[in-house]
Amino acid sequence: MTLDALRRMKVQELALPLVVVLLVVIGAVLKGTIFFSTANLWNVLLQASVAGTVAVGMTFVIATGGIDLAVGSVLAAAAIVGGHYFHGAGSAWFMAGTILAGAAAGAINGIAVAWLRIVPFVATLAMLAAARGIAQQISHQTPVGLYDLEALTRIGSQRVLGIPIPAIVFLVVVALGALVLNGTRYGRYVVAVGGNREAARIAGIRVRPIVFSVYVLVGVCTGIASVLQTGQLASASPVVGLGLELDAIAAVVIGGTSLAGGRCTMLGTFFGVLTFALIFNLLTLENVESQVQQILRGVIILGAVAVQRRGH
Amino acid sequence: MIRHKHAAVSGLALALALTLPITLPLWQTGCRKADPPKPGDGSARAEPAKTAAPPPAGAAGAKIKIAFSAPAADHGWTGAISVNAKKQGAKYDDVELSLTQAATAADQVSQLNTIMMQKPDVLVILPQDETVTPAALAAMKAGIPVINVDREFSDPAAQRAVIKGDNYGVGFQAGQYFAGQLHCKGNVVEIQGIAGISVTNQRTKGFADAIGQCKGGIKIIAQQPADFAPDKGLSVMQNILQAQPKIDAVYTHDDDMAQGVVQAIKNANRDKEMWLTGVGGSRAAMDQIKQGGLYRATFLYNPTMAASAVALARLLAKGQGLSDLTEPVIPSLIVMQAQGVFQDNVDRYMQIAF
Amino acid sequence: MTAILEVRGLVKVFPGVTALAGVDLDVEAGEVHCLVGQNGAGKSTLIKCVSGATPPTAGTIRLLGHDLVAGRPGAALSAGVATMYQELDLVPDLSVSANIFLGHERRIGPLLARRAMRRDATELLARLGHATLDPDAQVAELRPADRQLVSMARALSRDVRLLIMDEPSAILDPPEVDALFAVVRRLTAAGVGVIYISHRLDEIARIGDRITVLRDGKTVASNLPATTSPEQLVQRMIGRSFSEVFPERSDPHGDVVLQVRRLARRPDLAETSFEVRSGEILGVGGLVGAGRTELLRAIAGLDPVDGGEVLVAGRVVPRGRPDLAVAAGIGVAPEERKSQGLWLDWDQVHNVTICDLPRLGRGPFTDAAAEHRAAAAQLRSLAVRPDDPLRLASELSGGNQQKVVLARWLLHASAVLLLDEPTRGVDVGAKADVYRVIAELAARGLAIVMVSSELAELVGFCDRILVMREGAVVAELRGGRATEEMILRHALRAEPPPEPPPESPRASP
Repeated sequence: MTLDALRRMKVQELALPLVVVLLVVIGAVLKGTIFFSTANLWNVLLQASVAGTVAVGMTFVIATGGIDLAVGSVLAAAAIVGGHYFHGAGSAWFMAGTILAGAAAGAINGIAVAWLRIVPFVATLAMLAAARGIAQQISHQTPVGLYDLEALTRIGSQRVLGIPIPAIVFLVVVALGALVLNGTRYGRYVVAVGGNREAARIAGIRVRPIVFSVYVLVGVCTGIASVLQTGQLASASPVVGLGLELDAIAAVVIGGTSLAGGRCTMLGTFFGVLTFALIFNLLTLENVESQVQQILRGVIILGAVAVQRRGH
Repeated sequence: MIRHKHAAVSGLALALALTLPITLPLWQTGCRKADPPKPGDGSARAEPAKTAAPPPAGAAGAKIKIAFSAPAADHGWTGAISVNAKKQGAKYDDVELSLTQAATAADQVSQLNTIMMQKPDVLVILPQDETVTPAALAAMKAGIPVINVDREFSDPAAQRAVIKGDNYGVGFQAGQYFAGQLHCKGNVVEIQGIAGISVTNQRTKGFADAIGQCKGGIKIIAQQPADFAPDKGLSVMQNILQAQPKIDAVYTHDDDMAQGVVQAIKNANRDKEMWLTGVGGSRAAMDQIKQGGLYRATFLYNPTMAASAVALARLLAKGQGLSDLTEPVIPSLIVMQAQGVFQDNVDRYMQIAF
Repeated sequence: MTAILEVRGLVKVFPGVTALAGVDLDVEAGEVHCLVGQNGAGKSTLIKCVSGATPPTAGTIRLLGHDLVAGRPGAALSAGVATMYQELDLVPDLSVSANIFLGHERRIGPLLARRAMRRDATELLARLGHATLDPDAQVAELRPADRQLVSMARALSRDVRLLIMDEPSAILDPPEVDALFAVVRRLTAAGVGVIYISHRLDEIARIGDRITVLRDGKTVASNLPATTSPEQLVQRMIGRSFSEVFPERSDPHGDVVLQVRRLARRPDLAETSFEVRSGEILGVGGLVGAGRTELLRAIAGLDPVDGGEVLVAGRVVPRGRPDLAVAAGIGVAPEERKSQGLWLDWDQVHNVTICDLPRLGRGPFTDAAAEHRAAAAQLRSLAVRPDDPLRLASELSGGNQQKVVLARWLLHASAVLLLDEPTRGVDVGAKADVYRVIAELAARGLAIVMVSSELAELVGFCDRILVMREGAVVAELRGGRATEEMILRHALRAEPPPEPPPESPRASP
């Protein structure tokens, strides 16, 4: 980021990083040694990894003015598809199959939105229902044990330089997401389509392929998240990912990305994910009742969006 | 104005289209002859059972129509309920089982209203919640006996018989086990189901009452809900592991959810430090109990109760009692034993794992 | 005559901006008082103060002899002030009568008195001379002119003493403007005072009684007679002389660049064929809805067509593919600049480079420095003000926004520019600047097609003029020889005038 860009940054863009800093300070005061241990800080990132990886893809979708409500169901369905059809072929096949299944679900959403012109909310609502059903149908409502996939379970249990592997994957995905969104032609087109669809058409941008692609992208991210999740659980379950779509959307929105499209920030999404993970971590460390966490999440969503509105 | 008229017409058409497949079978069946009740069809419960005395349809050669209404399979346990009911129904040549699943209580009530029109011989209901009671009561009044599974109706007249698990007992048995294994001393973590529902409250209370005998020797050092979901169990436990340096055992409310907790502990390489228990009786849990190690026990809250409910419904329709009992009719209340499954007895229960 | 409105020394200061710096205005019963001024002169703020939507910082507003309580729209409403805003504030999904009585519905107890409202709506519309408009019709289905009527009926449904009309004719065709004026005269005959705001100075002479000119938030001339000439008005509005609005152009035309052959999109556009040469400016005139915008969109591949083809420099552009049209060198500056032409919350650099990212980047990546260099060069060549390429598009004036759109196509080295109402919403002062830029682009060899509703613009600026009516080109006129009247006659399906004799491609001035 150049100095010039920093100079042009507005107060509301700094609000969320401040919240994160504040949460870290609160954590340090309440639970000094435990909270501030590197193990716990990596643990926070580990916890953020599944929803965070999905949120990276979600940022692209929301940047086009769309939404994907299906990610939670697709997370479960992708793992079940992978676990059911690719289990025997080994870890690499399982991962490829799971990510591919996520991409396929995203492609269906993308076709529905871009070419069949179904409103994203409705198209992905349909997928939300269907993917969950598929997950339960294929699995006969029983989790698929994947303990024998060593490479996969290693993703969930091992660390590199003390960092849990899912956390590393998440950081890499965020960095790639930021690079694509801010530094490539494709990213510019995504924002252009979201900011002003007709202007994008007139400027010669092919709108439908762009719209289609963001749903595939979030599908791939969901597939990756699904691998991270199954790696940690060592099994594929049809009941995981309930409410994941709301976690991801909330993180994207408090990060400063506009649901109307055209205004988005990957850094904001990162801080948004981190904020929720920190709250969850802190309150569980303190053994605070879960309803307090719900209230706090609500307050933060409202507060963050209100601060952003002030700038417009 | 025009729009509203249009909407009304299309709404009507939709309603017709929806009811057609339901009403058609009615016409095809025509009027079924209602056999008079057999003598000796007495009842353990006085009033409601009499009004709902079923015709012993099995004797007449016609199939016994049992309608099973269950919640949507949004979880391993509810999924297994439906599977068990279907399997049991298929075992009998003289039973025709129809299964419906409802995502909400409101859905279930409207489904029940539709089912009643088809006049099944017995209605088996696992209600979403208490608001389903009036629908069950209406069925009883219409002469269709109702067997309640697991979640008793608020009005006793709404059911002929209840077969249910024992949430308090599950918690209490688990608490007894913890007290014994830990010699009334240690740090325990409790991973609950969905916060605020009666299942969770009962399982928590039973556990607390049982470890009360240790007079504070067993400390519950962390207690968090994880919504019966394995991914939530994973992340809740990951955090708790950070906060608690010394954990002796973990009491979880559910086998599915426990899988996430198990993985969190394993991934943190702390599986030698503690052990845990589940509730339910899932295949994965029993496999791990058999292997030995982290997963020590589960306490049955078995979806086989759905299969038993179908069996009871059949007996009720035939006017028979349980074979080894003296009474010629089925009992009105059956509570499943919250049986503990451990490494030494797991083989006995393996066949009913779900 | 009685004074309805007396405004004295009105001042309104927003943070950082003084919108009004001492405005006086008098409106008497039964008069049409015209308010003119460039965009940003303070007209809108003045209206907001008078209608009570914004409290003034200083000064007095007296309505019928009583001081207006500041900042309370309700107070102004009950004192008899009604406002028709530029953006019609109707609810499209409601019926005509429901819109007329929106906010003060007739009731019987808690219930809506629909029948009474229908009856009263019909009566109000009859008072406006349009008794035939169905009070049950949905506003969404009405023509713009009829919507305007509904808006006026709504104003009249309260006991109105002062009616403020903000650019009521902007979306109307000449015959509809005539009907509007007839309605306005009925109102003034009944003693209503009218404040009439318009950029069309010729209208002011027709409808107005007196004129007040605003410039930079001050009254620079008040109570001018309506007979004041447009030149004098413009001079007062912009503070300088009107002498040369249209730049001198006498460039020779080059080869044919754009060929349109039998292009059709029924029912909006009948088969249309024409050619445009390098350096030529082809004007397209006609009424609103005559198919002019549809023609431009069809050429650019933005709407599907039934048949025909478009060639740029002799090569066919595939149909219905705006991306290939852009690649072939066709650039569009749409009429709806803000909603279709620009990304308002982007800086100018990104707005300019959007079509040239492959060329300005490396592989899939963008190159901020290269983009900045390329965009800044184009923006400077068009003299966009302020000279800060990182300024957001939303912060620019209409004329400068238009230049940003043009800079994009310049950077893309487009061969053909399709301009839809390029000076709409542009200040009188800045219009000359936009003309200068367009002339310059033509001089660089671009072929330009320019849709315009301003007859003076077509006649004074274009080399050739196509006149469209009901989706078809009905006349082709030579720029130097055409008159505003000729264009209007063709556009209105009047008796065809005798064709002018064949002539040289352009009569040089």
